[in-house]
Amino acid sequence: MTTLQADVLVIGGGATGAGVAWDCALRGYDTVLVDRRDLAEGTSGRFHGLLHSGGRYVVKDPDAAVECVEENAIVRRVAADAVEDTGGLFVSTPGDDLAYGDRFLEGCRASHLPVEEIGVAEALRREPLLNPGITRAFVVPDASVDVWKLVWALADGAAAHGARVLTYHRVVGIRRDGDEVCGARLRNELSGEEVDVEAAFTINASGAWAAEVAEMAGCEGIHVAPGKGIMIAMNHRLVNTVVNRLVMPADGDILVPIRTVSVIGTTDIRSRHADELPVTQEEVDQMLDDGDRLVPGLRSARALRVWAGVRPLFEDKKTGETDSTRDVSRSHAMLDHLERDGLRRFLTITGGKLTTYRLMAKDIVDAMVRQRGEARPCRTAETPLPGSEEGRPYRLGVRLRAREEELRSEQIICECELVGRRRLEDAMRRRGTANLDDIRRNLRLGMGPCQGGFCMYRAAGILHGIGRMDGPRATGSLRHFLQERWKGMWPVLYGDQLRQARLDDWIFQGLLDVEHVPADTNGLPAPVDAELEATPLL
Amino acid sequence: MSYDVIVVGTGVAGLAAAVRLAEDGARVLVLAKGIGATHLTGATVDVLGYDPERVEAPGDALGRLVAAQPGHPYARVGAEAVGEALAWLRAQVAASPFAPYAYEGGLERNHLLPTAVGAPKPTAMAPRTMLAGDLRAGGAPICIAGIRRLKDFHPLLCAENIAAATGTEARGVELDLPLTGRADENAQGLARQLEDPVVRGALVQQLANTLRVGERVGLPAVLGLGDPHAVWSDLEHRLGRPVFEIPTLPPSVPGMRLYTILRAALRRAGGRQVIGPEVVGPVAAGARLEGLRVRVGKREEVRRAGHVVLATGGFASGGLQLDSRWRARDAALGLPLAGVPEPGELRFTPRYFEDQPMARAGIAVDDELRPLGADGEPSYENVRVAGASIAGAAPWKEKSGEGISLATGLRAAGLILHATRTAAAPAAGATMEAP
Repeated sequence: MTTLQADVLVIGGGATGAGVAWDCALRGYDTVLVDRRDLAEGTSGRFHGLLHSGGRYVVKDPDAAVECVEENAIVRRVAADAVEDTGGLFVSTPGDDLAYGDRFLEGCRASHLPVEEIGVAEALRREPLLNPGITRAFVVPDASVDVWKLVWALADGAAAHGARVLTYHRVVGIRRDGDEVCGARLRNELSGEEVDVEAAFTINASGAWAAEVAEMAGCEGIHVAPGKGIMIAMNHRLVNTVVNRLVMPADGDILVPIRTVSVIGTTDIRSRHADELPVTQEEVDQMLDDGDRLVPGLRSARALRVWAGVRPLFEDKKTGETDSTRDVSRSHAMLDHLERDGLRRFLTITGGKLTTYRLMAKDIVDAMVRQRGEARPCRTAETPLPGSEEGRPYRLGVRLRAREEELRSEQIICECELVGRRRLEDAMRRRGTANLDDIRRNLRLGMGPCQGGFCMYRAAGILHGIGRMDGPRATGSLRHFLQERWKGMWPVLYGDQLRQARLDDWIFQGLLDVEHVPADTNGLPAPVDAELEATPLL
Repeated sequence: MSYDVIVVGTGVAGLAAAVRLAEDGARVLVLAKGIGATHLTGATVDVLGYDPERVEAPGDALGRLVAAQPGHPYARVGAEAVGEALAWLRAQVAASPFAPYAYEGGLERNHLLPTAVGAPKPTAMAPRTMLAGDLRAGGAPICIAGIRRLKDFHPLLCAENIAAATGTEARGVELDLPLTGRADENAQGLARQLEDPVVRGALVQQLANTLRVGERVGLPAVLGLGDPHAVWSDLEHRLGRPVFEIPTLPPSVPGMRLYTILRAALRRAGGRQVIGPEVVGPVAAGARLEGLRVRVGKREEVRRAGHVVLATGGFASGGLQLDSRWRARDAALGLPLAGVPEPGELRFTPRYFEDQPMARAGIAVDDELRPLGADGEPSYENVRVAGASIAGAAPWKEKSGEGISLATGLRAAGLILHATRTAAAPAAGATMEAP
């Protein structure tokens, strides 16, 4: 068994955990970051991509709004390369409570959120597909954020300061020595090998799974309610500005332009377990109807895929028997297990939202520094992440410009997302993975309209050479990726995307017949069982 | 110009029907929104490859399938019609400007031809340029040669999988051809380049250096568009060994050749083809279809004909549609679809390779290939449905797509010819008018 030593073990490779690792590394701690799957494959990778201005919370939760206002400005600066400055609109659709607009405006002022009311004609000029029946429109500094870029920049930045990042390593036990936590035992989910991490301090940043991890350390009675939200990606940018409905936060009231697509979200349904997130036909229909309210015709536009994320909503005690989890506070929760359970060197952070990942990391690392009796100030508000040193925000079109410049020297492997061959080969070498879905999260391979129909075979062929793997293993990767892509497609297969999916079947079954080639899927993560169960549609 | 028959769709089913009709003297118009799905197919004629085990003798298996699956398109036409359809296509190719480019095979034994990922795919009939790749009973060792610039064909993966799947000795090599221009070349572009003897010479030279005694050579299916036989036979001659093509990702060069062959036959027989107009609805009088509402650009017009062949393809081609409220219909005439799961039932399942409940959805037809309404009665007496629009098949799982398209396309044509000959009065001549 391998044993690693570290100052800090961070459990959970979402935005919060990666943010904690980056913060720790910047303060000079030798850090190990672990996740049971790939980075940002849980909650962080399953949201709509909105970097909140705070507007959504100004009426309902002014404290959260103030946090968002401040963090929005910081994240734009330190993680510029992952942020697109789309701007945001709040619009009243027909039938919405008109008085809410005045409360919204008041709330914005109280939270110091820069806001400007514009005329309906001007709003429609900026976003021509918006519902022409809107009655009011406000401009706020919302933005969209590429979460995989952000989380990998955090992890790479931490690694550049000596941190070690272990993906596909599940915590199977928390090591305790009397009233002290001193690390964890991990199991490599791909090889089965066990790893011991001896750490002077352990931070549990596992979000919706925080209660399970804390229980391993013997801390009982924590509840993290899984609040399921579904999102649907449409195949292009129906809007170029984030569009919010000007109402108390509700379902299906946000449309986010993110990279080449736009995402409509979201619902909020208490789920049984954070790993059981079925998408029902009812929810899909609700989301499409809600989206149609913002952008008429959305129902007949092309939906690429649907996914469900789970909000980690921390509860101190059991809340009443209610289906809605939206009333639980969105502000993050920190658990000092010394105070709560008499356990030293162990802290838990959960709850919160992506926009405030940095603040959450700062708060929990500050708490650790206090418990250690040290004085190491946080530097994440001033230090740009790798790739963001110049502070230039991401702009849609940079990939296209780069590809156009090298058409004579570089093949395009994924036309939808403009992934060039060298970039793909570099990512395959760097990650050393047989899992094309890992590569997807880094490069957006296969995320466009054809959902991998054309690039999957090419990528498998290239992986076969780069990874020095045999044919059946490369075929295993191809089939695994096919299943991963299918996962988000089948519940929303209608219209033009059904046509696309049938073309993909034509390619993979009719033309290539990948079903009848020996495939070896050893070393690839097994799908989550619940994802392979058929969901009742109504 | 007036027409006896309008064929909607210009894939294998539509073109086969149109050629057969035109050759028999009917005035035929092919209307299609786009250029058809032929460019997507590997252009092998898959009749029945899996049922669900691998099929060795498609003729025998067809007989069993017709008996066991009365809802299958093959049950509408019968096994015999499939054999006749294959013979018809062989004759068409033999008479084409591409001859001696030829199709070979039949219903006795399936070939096992390698796909670009190295799967041994059962197919009844294929271009001669592919047949040396047959993987039945071992055979000579294989060298799969790819061209680095073509990202749609990966020879090393293909070769390793051929070996793993069949035990045939196989290895892959990658060649660099002296090509200029963009770093990307698709199969169509490469096929044009290989018509140049200089480029072909470079291919031969590089290959000759690496080939071992007794090896046959597999290449991506890019061996010429304008005169494929010349390109292929020149390579065989200069390399002194069997050479075979393997279909790539679309665009498919052999698919384009097949399209060219059928279109040329249609022209020769006096048929006409118009690409672009979209059929958006029927003009009906009771049980008879009087004509078609056709959208051309922003204009809509009515085209009248005595008979219509609907060969618009399945969901992949846009011939069939399902909207976000799960309403399913055929796109051209608004015909109802059979085999669509009821509300509340699963249309698809979470496992990709499982049988998908929606897979066999399509237009139900009677033995005369007339579309059936919800009441089980023909919607129109003078409409025949052909190809992938017909309910009851899972063409890519079964490897049956081209067989169904050819057999039903030709049967639709035969039924119309029979009906017009036996009709007491000649069918109304086609006219065109503004709506």
